[in-house]
Amino acid sequence: MAEILNMVHELGEGLFGPLLWSLVWVVIKVVLLLAPVLFMVTYITLAERKVIGAMQVRPGPNRVGFFGVLQPLADAVKLIFKETILPEKADKSLFLLAPLLTLVPALLSWAVVPFSPELILADVNVGILYILAISSLGAYGIIISGWASNSRYAFLGSMRSVAQMVSYEVSMGFTLIPVILITGSLSLVDVVEQQKDWWNIIPLAPMFFIYFISVVAETNRSPFDLPEAEPELVAGFFTEYSAMSSGLFFMGEYANIVLVSFLGALVFLGGWLPPLSILDFIPGIIWLGLKAGFLMFVFLWIRATFPRYRYDQLMRLGWKVFLPVSLFWIFLTGLVLQLTRGIGGE
Amino acid sequence: MGLDLKSLLQSFALKELAQGMAVTLKHFFKPTITVQYPEERTPISPRFRGEHALRRDEQGEERCVACKLCEAVCPAQAIDIEIDPRSTAEKRLTRVYDIDETKCIFCGFCQEACPVDAIVLGPNFEFFGSVRSDLYFNKERLLANGERWSNELNARIAADARYR
Amino acid sequence: MMVADVIFYLFATVTVLSALGVVGARNPVHSVLFLVLAFFSTAGLFVLMGAEFLAAILVMVYMGAVAILFLFVVMMLDVDFSMLRRESVRYLPMGFVVGAVMLAELGLMMAHHPGEGLHLGLDNTDNTLAIGQALYTRFLYPFEVASLILLVALIGAVALTHRERKRVHRQDISTQLARTKEDAVELRKVASGEGA
Repeated sequence: MAEILNMVHELGEGLFGPLLWSLVWVVIKVVLLLAPVLFMVTYITLAERKVIGAMQVRPGPNRVGFFGVLQPLADAVKLIFKETILPEKADKSLFLLAPLLTLVPALLSWAVVPFSPELILADVNVGILYILAISSLGAYGIIISGWASNSRYAFLGSMRSVAQMVSYEVSMGFTLIPVILITGSLSLVDVVEQQKDWWNIIPLAPMFFIYFISVVAETNRSPFDLPEAEPELVAGFFTEYSAMSSGLFFMGEYANIVLVSFLGALVFLGGWLPPLSILDFIPGIIWLGLKAGFLMFVFLWIRATFPRYRYDQLMRLGWKVFLPVSLFWIFLTGLVLQLTRGIGGE
Repeated sequence: MGLDLKSLLQSFALKELAQGMAVTLKHFFKPTITVQYPEERTPISPRFRGEHALRRDEQGEERCVACKLCEAVCPAQAIDIEIDPRSTAEKRLTRVYDIDETKCIFCGFCQEACPVDAIVLGPNFEFFGSVRSDLYFNKERLLANGERWSNELNARIAADARYR
Repeated sequence: MMVADVIFYLFATVTVLSALGVVGARNPVHSVLFLVLAFFSTAGLFVLMGAEFLAAILVMVYMGAVAILFLFVVMMLDVDFSMLRRESVRYLPMGFVVGAVMLAELGLMMAHHPGEGLHLGLDNTDNTLAIGQALYTRFLYPFEVASLILLVALIGAVALTHRERKRVHRQDISTQLARTKEDAVELRKVASGEGA
């Protein structure tokens, strides 16, 4: 592996010169990271339709390609060739910027997601904070889209959506704090390596459930998909969007689902560590993929199961249930750590 | 009432959420019951009310005797009949027999009213018109339908006969 | 270090231009969005200085929460900003005074501590750790007092706006969930003709 890398480096430096090559190498790494991510994003749309179909005892899309495997491509072609409609009174530049602002943060966060101890684009020592910070930017795409559309439905939808995202970001952040307390580091690689003995889900099971429910709300997924709320708000913040500009919103949503599934797998389910040390021969990246894949499946599963929450109940759940419970658990974790090893290290 | 410990524990353990998810998971593994329509079809009843047809008798003559009962009973007033002036007391004929399929509600009253089993609603539901006038059926179209579906129509009438 | 310089000037230019945009934009929503851009490029500058914790906190708190609330307010209020803008000329001198004072303070601080900043005598390899240690040891009291002030402000805001509303149906979800079939439904055999 290392020899191949060296060969590539030498070849590249010969072609571009050392300075330019370092830039090109970054671009290559980004592409190598984003290609599988975008692949997952396109195929989770198919998986969603297949899984929900199966749960409703019907086959789901099965016409385009064998078993429907080409359906995402057909969808993409359709979206690209449709006309992007610009509403007359919209703020045109912001209107077109907004979908990008939803998608780009969802992709930016992948820079610090480790797939194995070595396979990581940027091992920042504040990885978790970086993800929290970047994901808090996702709200901008939604609030801007709602305002720039110059439509009541879109505006109300975006107001709801942003209030929901901001609220649940708080509880999502608080569920990660006990993990940080236990690890004593903000780096995701450290967080995973620390789970060698037992996964974080064992001491922090309530935190894991709160994390998962919070990210479902954070990604505006059913049963917390009030921003879309077809019956009252006609698709909410992207009422006015058509063709690929609405497609970008969907990509952003699914990219976020994939991201938070990976984050949950890394932070609570032991990342690339196998559940039993006997199973060590299976590469870590497969374990990570399985765990994240399971969480993604749960996303689809709960969408097929639960009816939509009412808005006031949603806010009550976030602020009056999750926040106190997670704060209490932070306190409890700190207390236990203080009693067992003393704060500030072993 | 108040809160008892058991229900508190149950709600913190997400008991009811788990119950709901168990139901969907169970269905996830069930075989699908979808009928792939253009390739597979569900059986239709002999009383199915589809596209209209005018039948002919064994000699190939039109069955319709221009009694206008169907026109009278039609709740959507979709049927328009004009009697042929050459009609005699023995042989009454229609000059015009039009059905506006865009008005028709497929209630089947015309079929019930018909004393000679001339107007019937057939088994066919796969017909369309790309312009409105395609759906204004005149007598030729209705008779052609009767010829095209004559076997099915006869079978349907035979199947239903013992209930009448 | 050329690349870092280029990136620094890029972020610095974006910061200054978007700061000008905040003041100059005709539409208040655009102003707030320029402010957000300024925050973001400032966070970039923090990262360049090796203060990634501060950068992340800046993005999370200012962009993720404070500016969103600004946007909420600005979008919901229908204020005629052209009126305000016409009057703003009156306050221009005052604005210049405030700006000059802040510039002077900045200059004074730079003159007194050339290039060293606050020396905390801490191991600076991990600035997250360093900030934590500084806040919870040397600056513990100011830190706690600041958080107490914020808490008081929070409770104060709630106390000022909260009012008990009479005759409003409130749902208590836990009592709703605690209802069982036994205490909600009563099955009776009613003979025909005897039901009320």
